[in-house]
Amino acid sequence: MSVKEKLKRVLIEDLNLEDVEPDEIDDDMALFGEGLGLDSLDAVELVVIVQKHFGVEIKDMEEGRPALQTINTLAKYIEQRLAG
Amino acid sequence: MSSGDKQARSAKRQKWTSRSIGASWQHQSFYLLIRLGGRRAAYLLLYLVVFYYVLLPAVRRKCYYYLERRFPQAGVWGRFKNSYLMTLDLGKVLVDRALVGILGADEITVELHGKEELLELLAERKGLILVNAHVGCWQVAMSALGFMKTPVNLLMQREAGDIDRHYFEHAGIECPYRIIDPRGYLGGALEMIDVLKRGEVLSVMGDRMLGDDRNGVDVEFMGGTVTLPFSAYKLASATGAPIVALFSYKTGADSYALKLYRTIRVPGGLGRGSAVFVPYVREFAETLEEFCTEHPFQFFNFFDMWQNSVASSAVGRD
Repeated sequence: MSVKEKLKRVLIEDLNLEDVEPDEIDDDMALFGEGLGLDSLDAVELVVIVQKHFGVEIKDMEEGRPALQTINTLAKYIEQRLAG
Repeated sequence: MSSGDKQARSAKRQKWTSRSIGASWQHQSFYLLIRLGGRRAAYLLLYLVVFYYVLLPAVRRKCYYYLERRFPQAGVWGRFKNSYLMTLDLGKVLVDRALVGILGADEITVELHGKEELLELLAERKGLILVNAHVGCWQVAMSALGFMKTPVNLLMQREAGDIDRHYFEHAGIECPYRIIDPRGYLGGALEMIDVLKRGEVLSVMGDRMLGDDRNGVDVEFMGGTVTLPFSAYKLASATGAPIVALFSYKTGADSYALKLYRTIRVPGGLGRGSAVFVPYVREFAETLEEFCTEHPFQFFNFFDMWQNSVASSAVGRD
């Protein structure tokens, strides 16, 4: 399973996104606000989810901020951290 | 509750404002008096100004939301007197804050209760969340936290029309705290996590909602239901940081106390829902109620916190 696929699955499960299927989440869909509809408190949860499921800690928020835009940006961030 | 109801409640809640009553020149008059005659001169004017303001029904009405719950048996005269005392205490806090900025920190002494416990909590290296409230003078009291030798970060929203100055602005020095604006990216959530991961101190207000009702839960407070924010408790769950309810209060003409009232531990992995945080927000509400019992005129929320309670509409008479 790719990072993107796993990411979509854990987002749906851990954030209890009702009536959303993994293939309905576009890779370039905004995670917050319009798009997937996550809010500021979900950001807290999202940081925890990334650490729990991928072992990647988003330590630097200046770096993490651009990562938390879309599935694509977040998956790329995780892959880079895992590779590094 | 429907989303329409929540939106209406949220819109109503925005009626409270951080903007000061009184014009800029009135504030400047107090600053001038402090420079010329110190605290006593400023207090002298304050007694008169507060008496004038309390004669205004609109000012008393703002006091009654809280006072009628704290002193339900008070008669007409009692309500007037309590409004005066509450407004006077707020005025003294504002004068003291300016006093420290203009004449120096030596003008006020702050006694800290709970120092050892604070140091022990910091030693856990998970960061520390101070949940404060609009009581006493937190700006002055925070100066007592220097012993921690750890950066303090404040979640603080300030309105453009707010002419009231913080003590460091009077003193012409750089703000000693890092300010996190809740109107920033994702409500400052990422910055707050960052702060806690670095083991620093994050200070938030626990008694007022800032914005979205989805970030609040309903709990009992002084015989009614209030909506209080749960974001601090969610942060604690996500990061493992301990929470302390830390309140300040004026103890004398030139003295304050800062007291650690309660440590709140939020277990990790509580998840996304809001209901799971109710027990911890309730702990805070109980602690705040304890404070109001001890210091009835140093609770400075001049709006209807109980607006979603059945009986709240009865409050506000003169």
